[in-house]
Amino acid sequence: MGAAFSMSSLFGKLFGSKEVRILMLGLDAAGKTTILYKLKLNQTMTTIPTVGFNVETFTYKNIKFNMWDVGGQDKIRPLWRHYYSGTQGLVFVVDSSDHARIDEARTELHRIINDREMADCLLLVFANKQDVDGAMKPNEVTEKLQLAKLKDKLWFVQPAIAIDGEGLTEGFGWLSDNIKKMPKYGGK
Amino acid sequence: MAPAEQPLPYAPKTNSISAFVEASPPSEGHRRSLSTVPTSKFADMSQPPPRPARSPLPHGFNAADMDRISDPNIKDQIASTGTGASSQHSSLSVPPPKVRYDPSLRRARKPRSQYPRSSTESHVEYILVASFDIDRGPIMEHQYPVAITGDEHMLAELMLPDQAHVRNQDWTVFFLHKDSSQEEDDAERQAKESRRARRRRRRDRAKGIIHESDDEEDGEEDDDDDDWDDDMSTDTEPEGGEGPPLVYVLNLVNTKQDKTVKRGAVVKAMAICTRHPFLHIYKPLLLLALEEYFKSPVPETLSMLFNAVNEMDLSLMPKLSLLERHLLQASDNKDLFVEKFERMIQARIAEETSEDVADQPFDASRSPPKRPGIFRSGTKSYIETHTGAYAVPRDTHEFESKVMYKGIPIPIKVPVAVMPETVGDFSLIKLIQNFSDSHAKSPQTFSLHPHLTTNGPNTHPIIVLVNALLTQKRVIFLGHNMPSGEVAEAVLAACALVSGGLLRGFTRHAFPYTDLTKIDDLLNVPGFIAGVTNPTFEHHPEWWDLLCDIPSGKMKISSKIESAPITEGLVYFQQQNPAYANFIHGASASSGSGGSSTAGAQTGDLTGDAAFMADMLRCIANRSGERVVRAKWREWVLKFTRIAAAFEETVFGASALYIGSEGENNDGSGMAAMGHGYVWADEATKAKELAGNVTRIEGWRNTRSYYSFIQDVAQSYTVRPLKGLDLAHMHDRLRTQKLSPQQSKEIFEAFYNYVWSYDEICLLLSVAPESHAGLFYVALGLFHKDRDVRMKTAELLDRIAEHEAGQHWWRSLSRFEKLAYVRIKKEMEQEGRTGRELGVVSPVDSKRVS
Repeated sequence: MGAAFSMSSLFGKLFGSKEVRILMLGLDAAGKTTILYKLKLNQTMTTIPTVGFNVETFTYKNIKFNMWDVGGQDKIRPLWRHYYSGTQGLVFVVDSSDHARIDEARTELHRIINDREMADCLLLVFANKQDVDGAMKPNEVTEKLQLAKLKDKLWFVQPAIAIDGEGLTEGFGWLSDNIKKMPKYGGK
Repeated sequence: MAPAEQPLPYAPKTNSISAFVEASPPSEGHRRSLSTVPTSKFADMSQPPPRPARSPLPHGFNAADMDRISDPNIKDQIASTGTGASSQHSSLSVPPPKVRYDPSLRRARKPRSQYPRSSTESHVEYILVASFDIDRGPIMEHQYPVAITGDEHMLAELMLPDQAHVRNQDWTVFFLHKDSSQEEDDAERQAKESRRARRRRRRDRAKGIIHESDDEEDGEEDDDDDDWDDDMSTDTEPEGGEGPPLVYVLNLVNTKQDKTVKRGAVVKAMAICTRHPFLHIYKPLLLLALEEYFKSPVPETLSMLFNAVNEMDLSLMPKLSLLERHLLQASDNKDLFVEKFERMIQARIAEETSEDVADQPFDASRSPPKRPGIFRSGTKSYIETHTGAYAVPRDTHEFESKVMYKGIPIPIKVPVAVMPETVGDFSLIKLIQNFSDSHAKSPQTFSLHPHLTTNGPNTHPIIVLVNALLTQKRVIFLGHNMPSGEVAEAVLAACALVSGGLLRGFTRHAFPYTDLTKIDDLLNVPGFIAGVTNPTFEHHPEWWDLLCDIPSGKMKISSKIESAPITEGLVYFQQQNPAYANFIHGASASSGSGGSSTAGAQTGDLTGDAAFMADMLRCIANRSGERVVRAKWREWVLKFTRIAAAFEETVFGASALYIGSEGENNDGSGMAAMGHGYVWADEATKAKELAGNVTRIEGWRNTRSYYSFIQDVAQSYTVRPLKGLDLAHMHDRLRTQKLSPQQSKEIFEAFYNYVWSYDEICLLLSVAPESHAGLFYVALGLFHKDRDVRMKTAELLDRIAEHEAGQHWWRSLSRFEKLAYVRIKKEMEQEGRTGRELGVVSPVDSKRVS
């Protein structure tokens, strides 16, 4: 027992102290800031539009996440690229109820993923706002975003209701499992 | 922000000197007759006057002299305004020095206004309002009076700083580089011409009405006009330099949670654009106006603010020369130059009286209207009786005015003496403490860079910062989770720190607050100082050379910093000083690789910076004020420039950092007075200090601030009093070196022979600041073994005591020295000799130098 305990704290020292940088992007009003604070504080905050960015650090499954949430208004999207370098995971948030802008979301997502600096990063898509009537199902989102086109890329689509926290644990479970496997992280 | 208009550091504008000489239009020549130069008595007429003379006042007229005021009541009131006046008679009962009347001693310079009423320049040029649109991001909502040229979207982005949504209120500062086109210049010139013509007509008309009844006032009115013309065309002091003045923007952003609107909040920002460097005075007004704008988001809200601030009256704030500003800045005395304020008010009262007369030209028998009095603001008599009357400020460092906004008077305090590169409100103490405290707890170890780590890996972070700015590196202040206003403050403080009021070119390349949207523009600027709140900047070491993290108080030298080149100067110095060659070589060789070979050599604190910082921190710990700290930094910067001059002279044989006339020592005043430059106790100390500084001097020698400093030196040489003498050098010799009686005699005699005029005394006071020993070293001449020197020193002190600023220095002279002064004066009286018969050098000869 004691040995196991010290082992785990050693493990924590080896890996837990290492920060993983996650970048969360998506169109404006997709729910990025709500997800960030649900994860960080485990409570639902009333969020207002993000001027610039938010950044928070939290630990999940022994991994220290340094998570960036960058404002999504169309004029400030060109700034996203400055956040790419050193990013290990992209969380792309989609408002599943916004049928009108799903194509716009696809264009933005592919632009990000095709950047050289984002070549090695994991992609987690939150198909958010599943509670809204007429929201697209995950497979529909997958299709509309044309994720099948992505080669050599680990991706995962997770349905979510950010205000209730539904789906967030599952999404980050996938993310942390795959981060541990990344060569940079010392995984197999 | 248009950093694209980069003037090349290699092409300093050399037109300045000639341009300034030619700038005074010949038509104004009659107003600047040489006869009005106060020192004309001794003036060598072949020499141009040090400054264009401004006051065509008759000889013997002295504005400081109370006798010119006809109303005895005013006289009394004025005499009472200086709070220190009573202390003039010290407990020793030393009589105020009795000096023969000599108009050359005091310069009866007509006080000029910094912001004359006749000026067409507005205090505030634009008011802007931007908001964060939930669909589009930052947008500009309104601009008043007209749309500002340039990219308004870029402006809107700057007005809505990162993370404005997480705080209710935030301030930012940013600068705009407005290019004034040729057209605008022409338009301005035409406007000036027509203004001048108009004024001339008005003057003529006024003359016709008032005719000869009041010559003095007529003359004064002329003066005002002259002042204005001078302001426009012949201000010879180095000010702007690299281009049109910057437009400073003070911006307030508010976030209001509002359940009734989509997405729950409204974010709006209002900004004031001004060319005044003291933009912080508008803070209370912006707070009120933005609140108002939330209630009524219409252009009228902007125009109301615009009109209110532009009606602010600063016309009674006297204009100070660079030397005077320096003296005021460095002094804690609340009365310094109070006379200038009084004269401004007197002139105004006279003007108003004459206007009254002009209104009723036919009623000649009327008794003159009662003139309003002058009071010291805040004094009992002022508050009790005359709240409406003109008042001299409580503290001459600040001019008090007010802005009427919606019927409410908002008190405003405007700094009287603003040094170059001082913008807004900031605290050097705060900046220094922020980066010293964490260094004191756990000393930081820097990777070595010859330009930056001049004291080895443990160089104090503040010195690293100053070195980085001197050598034109890219410096970023990062304040994650801080209000952007605090980040901007750090940037502004850093500019003032490295400038010391002497060096320029920092604010012009400063971005007090910026964000990712401007990164491409920023990276086009070679060497900048920027403030950001977004920690992403830390992840991009290719964007900066030095990162100053404000919350942690740590600095980081970029891993991608360019290594310092081996320069000629460095090589020459090594050849000339083989003893120090190893150490310097080590410093440069280890750049980038982070070697520690130099640690041993550098623990010796060759630069003296470790001692300087220790003293600085002790000074702050002892609660010395901001003014003291700024004065100390000014000295540091001044010392650096003087060491650089000495370095260039040693290594290259010449330096453009000092201009003086050498070899004019044939008039009998001897060699000791004729040297120049920084003074070291001995040659070994000099070599050591040069060795410590050589790398950063070499780094500085290719920068904007270096070239503009050379320009300033050349330009100020044309207006500087005592061109051939380096008073600082002489004073430093008295202070630091062991001199033979003959050597010190030469220096004291040089002071006596050359320091006469108002400006010359200002210059002497500036090399002997109150914060140091004041006149202590000058007054040591009272104890010289040569009787002649003692008397001459007493005479010199007389002149200083009569001087508007000098009187304060005289008052703080030590008891001991004052006693000696009294003794010598008694001796002199007994012998019935007057000072004028003293001395071997006649005044005419003595003036040859200046």
